[in-house]
Amino acid sequence: MTVPMGDPAATAAGSVEPWAGEREPAQKPDEPSLSAGEWLTKNLFSSPVNALLTVVFSLFVFLVVRGLLNFMFSEERTWRAVKTNMRFLFTHAYPQEQYTRIWVCVGAIAVLSGLSVGLLARVGGGISMKKLSMNLMGTGAVIALGIVLREPSAIVDDEGLALHRDVSEAVGGSFAGWLDSNAFTVLAVLVLANVALAVWFHRQDTYLRGGPEPRIAHGALVLASFGVLMVQQYASGEVVRESFADAMLDRAWWWLAAAALAGAGAALWIGLGDARRRHTFVPAMYVFFAVAGVMVLSSWVYPWGHYGFLEGEFIAEPGSTVAMTTKLPWTVMLLLLVATYHLGRVLRAARAGPKLRVPLNLLWVLTPFVLYWAVLRDPDLDWDHVLSTDLPMALFFAAFGGLVMWFLAHPRIGEAGRVIAAVLVAVAALNWVAAYLGWYPMLQKARISFLLLAVVALLAHNFAGDRSQRMKLVAAWVATMAVFHWLVTLVNSPSTVDTPTDALIGGFGITLIVAVFTLLLAFPMGVLLALARTSKLPIFRVLSTAYIEVFRGVPLITVLFFFTLIFNLFLPQSMTLVDIAGATIGFALFSAAYLAENIRGGLQAVRRGQYEASDAVGLTTVQRTLFIVLPQALRVSIPPLVGQVIATFKETSLLAIVGIFDFLRIADKVISAQSEFLGVKREGLLFVSFIYWLFAYNMSKHSQRLEKRLGVGER
Amino acid sequence: MSVSDATTALTEELAARDDMIVCEGVNKWFGDFQALDGITAIIKEREVVVVLGPSGSGKSTWIRCINRLEAHQEGRIVVDGVELTNDLRNIEKIRSEVGMVFQQFNLFPHLTVEDNVTLAPIWVRKKPKGEAEELARSLLERVGIPEQAEKYPGQLSGGQQQRVAIARALAMEPRIMLFDEPTSVIKEVLDVMKELALSGMTMMVVTHEMGFAREVADRVIFMEDGQIVETGTPEHFFTDPREERTKLFLSQIL
Amino acid sequence: MSNTDQATLAATQSQRPPFYRDATVVKWLAQVFTLLLVVFALFFLTTQALENLNRQGIEIKYDFLSIGLGSDLREGIDTDPDTAGRALWAGAVNTLRIAAGGIVAATILGVLIGVGRLSSNWIVSRMCSVYIETIRNIPLLVQIVLIWALVATLPDVELDQGPINGLLHLSNKGMSVPRLHIDDGFYQWLIFIGAGWLVGTFVKRRRERRHDATGRDTYPVLSFLAVLAAFGAVGWVAHPMFRWVGAIFDFIGDGFSSLTPVVVQVVLSLAALAAAAWWIRRFLARLRTPAGLMKLTDDDKFRIIFAGVGALAVIAFMLVGWPGLASWIINSGTDLLGVIADKFGDGRTGQPLDIKRPDVEQLGNFPNPGPAGLNLTQGGAAVFFGVVLYTASFIAEIVRGGILAVPKGQTEAAQAVGLRRVTMLRRVILPQAFRVILPPLGNQYLNLTKNTSLAIAVGYSDFVQVGQIVYNQTGKTLEVISLWMLFYLACSLTISVVVNFFNIRMKIVER
Repeated sequence: MTVPMGDPAATAAGSVEPWAGEREPAQKPDEPSLSAGEWLTKNLFSSPVNALLTVVFSLFVFLVVRGLLNFMFSEERTWRAVKTNMRFLFTHAYPQEQYTRIWVCVGAIAVLSGLSVGLLARVGGGISMKKLSMNLMGTGAVIALGIVLREPSAIVDDEGLALHRDVSEAVGGSFAGWLDSNAFTVLAVLVLANVALAVWFHRQDTYLRGGPEPRIAHGALVLASFGVLMVQQYASGEVVRESFADAMLDRAWWWLAAAALAGAGAALWIGLGDARRRHTFVPAMYVFFAVAGVMVLSSWVYPWGHYGFLEGEFIAEPGSTVAMTTKLPWTVMLLLLVATYHLGRVLRAARAGPKLRVPLNLLWVLTPFVLYWAVLRDPDLDWDHVLSTDLPMALFFAAFGGLVMWFLAHPRIGEAGRVIAAVLVAVAALNWVAAYLGWYPMLQKARISFLLLAVVALLAHNFAGDRSQRMKLVAAWVATMAVFHWLVTLVNSPSTVDTPTDALIGGFGITLIVAVFTLLLAFPMGVLLALARTSKLPIFRVLSTAYIEVFRGVPLITVLFFFTLIFNLFLPQSMTLVDIAGATIGFALFSAAYLAENIRGGLQAVRRGQYEASDAVGLTTVQRTLFIVLPQALRVSIPPLVGQVIATFKETSLLAIVGIFDFLRIADKVISAQSEFLGVKREGLLFVSFIYWLFAYNMSKHSQRLEKRLGVGER
Repeated sequence: MSVSDATTALTEELAARDDMIVCEGVNKWFGDFQALDGITAIIKEREVVVVLGPSGSGKSTWIRCINRLEAHQEGRIVVDGVELTNDLRNIEKIRSEVGMVFQQFNLFPHLTVEDNVTLAPIWVRKKPKGEAEELARSLLERVGIPEQAEKYPGQLSGGQQQRVAIARALAMEPRIMLFDEPTSVIKEVLDVMKELALSGMTMMVVTHEMGFAREVADRVIFMEDGQIVETGTPEHFFTDPREERTKLFLSQIL
Repeated sequence: MSNTDQATLAATQSQRPPFYRDATVVKWLAQVFTLLLVVFALFFLTTQALENLNRQGIEIKYDFLSIGLGSDLREGIDTDPDTAGRALWAGAVNTLRIAAGGIVAATILGVLIGVGRLSSNWIVSRMCSVYIETIRNIPLLVQIVLIWALVATLPDVELDQGPINGLLHLSNKGMSVPRLHIDDGFYQWLIFIGAGWLVGTFVKRRRERRHDATGRDTYPVLSFLAVLAAFGAVGWVAHPMFRWVGAIFDFIGDGFSSLTPVVVQVVLSLAALAAAAWWIRRFLARLRTPAGLMKLTDDDKFRIIFAGVGALAVIAFMLVGWPGLASWIINSGTDLLGVIADKFGDGRTGQPLDIKRPDVEQLGNFPNPGPAGLNLTQGGAAVFFGVVLYTASFIAEIVRGGILAVPKGQTEAAQAVGLRRVTMLRRVILPQAFRVILPPLGNQYLNLTKNTSLAIAVGYSDFVQVGQIVYNQTGKTLEVISLWMLFYLACSLTISVVVNFFNIRMKIVER
């Protein structure tokens, strides 16, 4: 086939043809780098207002950062609650003895990711040495700053609890004591001094001249304010703390890490000349491998501690390294990723990219189904039933449908094709009517297969062609039937994995699974809705508009309640929908409305001339939509689509409200109810926020890069 | 102006040929605006007709009606013996008989030049892929850009795009070619069009290119306000126009 | 191909293609088929639901709204509602309150951050972008729950509540601030304000015209505000003179309640028919040309038929599908008019508005926030700050985009003609940026309103949470969910209408 079949995955995976005006990220002209002093003057102290803003906001940042550090590293935090419940948070109660299944899933995703990135990523580009060394040095500096900013550690007793001092005990006498009681006055004086300075320098036109005086004077006052705040905090508080010097010594490991990072960055900076720094690039994947490698390596050598929750037993061994059941799989995963990435590079060098793109995308679409139903669920197949019913039925539909396709795809089938298609549609419809009126029994999957066949038969004439073309169509149909019947058989078999809840898996696992299945369901719906909404046919337009506006007008939570609480009422008695399936349908229907609006934007960007040209060469409506309109429209709407993917990913947190043990619910409700960690909530919630943030942030960054590359949204 | 009036100006030989396009009392409105007003004309096989007229005179609308990009509202259009009605089969047939080259080329930007040309032969004519590619190569050769097959339209110059558009239309092996104001009529494109005309293709060309009209056209039709004002051979039309409106137009444009 | 003369041309004439090849017919067949499919699916689901409910002996009825509710609400206009309906109303008011307050706060914060991100000061722009990138990549629900957990660590309530006693109370029970209390005679006073608005607008227009004519400063906006203030001041004491307004509403209400359902049904049917007729007339008017009415194509005919069928379907639904609609309209209309009438009357002579400061009361052993101030409970604070912080990050991006969308040339041109910085911002930059900002901003307001429904996770008594209480007690899940959807659809519609109104106004300004 010469034409990409409007394959959604092909577009969504971010493969970009040069037609879309792809260019290398615009090379900025080399700016002369400013000296530190000039940079400060230009960006922080360029005018009186600017200088005051700098003063106020640096005080604010100081307070926020210090507060955050103190909160996170406080002796009163029970981070053990998160460490112990790590597996709980990610997979909920998935049985430990079957845990290999989880690792197989992660491994499969690692292999696919490695292959895709290796195969599709462009050669060259990546992170410039300049950026890399600056990031290394910056990280080192931030760590060093954090070490100094964080308050000295509390002195703890034997049980690890902080010693408290008598609140009524007077701090008095010392300078620190005086500062503690007058801290606000002192700070106010310092800020007023800054204002006075600003006025004075303004009078002197010092800002205009760009002289160094303002930044030196303001900077000194800002540092003095920081000092006041630090001393004040040291003097106040109910907890007994070690001295500042002791604290700095205690954090020797942190100092070492900061020095190592900064040193590596500096070495890179000095080792490469000015021009080479800017024009030498490291592939982003290698940087990722290095970071992941260091993390995995540290799990073998550094005593992170071994915490766990095995069959009701809490394990806490602070001095040991991470458990073998954790570090070994992760090491294997990393090795798999590295190996497949390089395999991908080799294949790319062999120019296998264009050929492998479609199979790879199909694999991506198929993987979630296989991983969930075959690997995670481990269905217990009833072989008698499989051999007596499932297999014959699958073979029948494959053979019969294949035959039908072979005939219908004949170039000169003409009116006869329409008649056959109409008969098949009638049969498919009859099956459903019969089901409603109870005329004859039939397996649901047979009805669906007939329906699929009818739809495909209606569309077949659009894809008619010579022998090889017809063979392709037949093969596609047979493959579809094989996958469909295989999946239905798996879904209908009971699972051998024994879990306490309805849902097979919980925690972050269910978050990801629901998000993926939601998107897989919602995307085709969104495309159809968008096509209908931009259609010239009034009834299609009205129906689609009504759907989109209703779903956009109500909160997601009400939709979820509908599908988890009462949707079973709307189904025949013999059918029930488990919560998780209902929730996924609710998510999908809701997301489809938003996706449709994004795709509509893309459809409107396709010029009228494209429609006319397709009509003029005689393409049918279906061909025009699949080969001409959708590929162009989807390409334009990639950035908003990625935005919607992120939104859906974030929205899965609502699972917690409808009673499914997802990531958030475990952190919010489950951990805080464990007898060891009663009431411990903030630690888990912060961890959950961080994981969500990590995923969403990286996706949005990727989307921004894509947007730049596609030249969309440029003015 | 009636059909018989128009035909008297033509040669005996022309009259003996088959009719390719017959328009009879074609009317079309866009809201209040009447774009076509009683268009009646016959275009013979192997004839090259150039349609002239000021902008907004309905030239483009007329040729777009011939391939059903716009539906006419009154009157009848018969192309190669097939009448344009709501009949899907007729529309299908006519579209594969009639090739069209657009003002803005309207190439498919996400497909390579070769895929642009082979798309319709494969999916509409149901040709095997190899055969279609063979055809595409020979057509690109014919329009003089065989080396651009792997490129995307965005990487080509205007003239090259124009020629790809012609190749794309020819790939359907049409009996009639319509040209809607080919704007960048550089020499190469003109040569291709002349070569086409000499090869016996029936052509209708809306253009401002008087040179082409003089050299190649068998007949010139002048339109204004949705009506056909005057029809004649190029010599007659450019040297001795009958109507006042034609004279005014020519005086402005020449 | 034979030589086509007039005869053969005539022979091909008037051959209508068979229906399955007629482009128009095929299109309409596909549409009608889809429509039937949708209708059938809905019909199937509904009958299944009715059947299943029947089997369980449950009916779909909304009479639970007037039955008592056994539990209290945590906050709102009525914490001990008599009926489920009253409880839902209190919940709706809570939702609207938090949405309205949230929209204002999120807009202010969002604009500040959006502008801050464009600041030339490195630390300010960096901070704003860190804020945006952090907040908008964490799910709102996680943030709300986290804020809830953080509020829980604030100090207990004390009688001498801080940080600013009598103005701002913060505790693990939430937050209290002063509030504006709508007192006696407020609605009568509102009539004065309305009149002041009209007169003020008139004065403003006149002054604007004089400014255009003479070029002198006439301060149109200032004088508008002055007129409004004058009317407000006079109304503050004179409002009892409008006590009779209630009687008018009573009179209308009496008339309304004396209507019979048949009258309402006839009126509604006529309205549906009139709407269809109006649509068809407009449709035909577009097809009219100077040469007379154009020949209708098949497509046109189908459209007209469908408009008529649609109107008939509406009427049929009203008469057969939901015969109670008419009496429901009469009852609720009468109730509504009664409520309005009640807002005016003889007893209403006090001052219209009052400011109340937060207090602390001690009922048992523990002090609690008193009823005087505007209280945000722990859950309320979590929802409010959650939606405000979250939405602000999106609004900031929209504002930034809008300002960047104004071409640089505009600023340069404004400077070239010598406009001052403030004038330039007000007259040149902001109007153009606003046009880009407004539509996505409206979407954010919509999202904010819908996101307040996450209150259910932290137990704030909003419409959804109260609904949950109601269906847990009455078992009327289907009915409550339908009320939820209707309520939020109404909110969304209102916001869309308001945003569209401003959108259109902006477009007029553009011309």
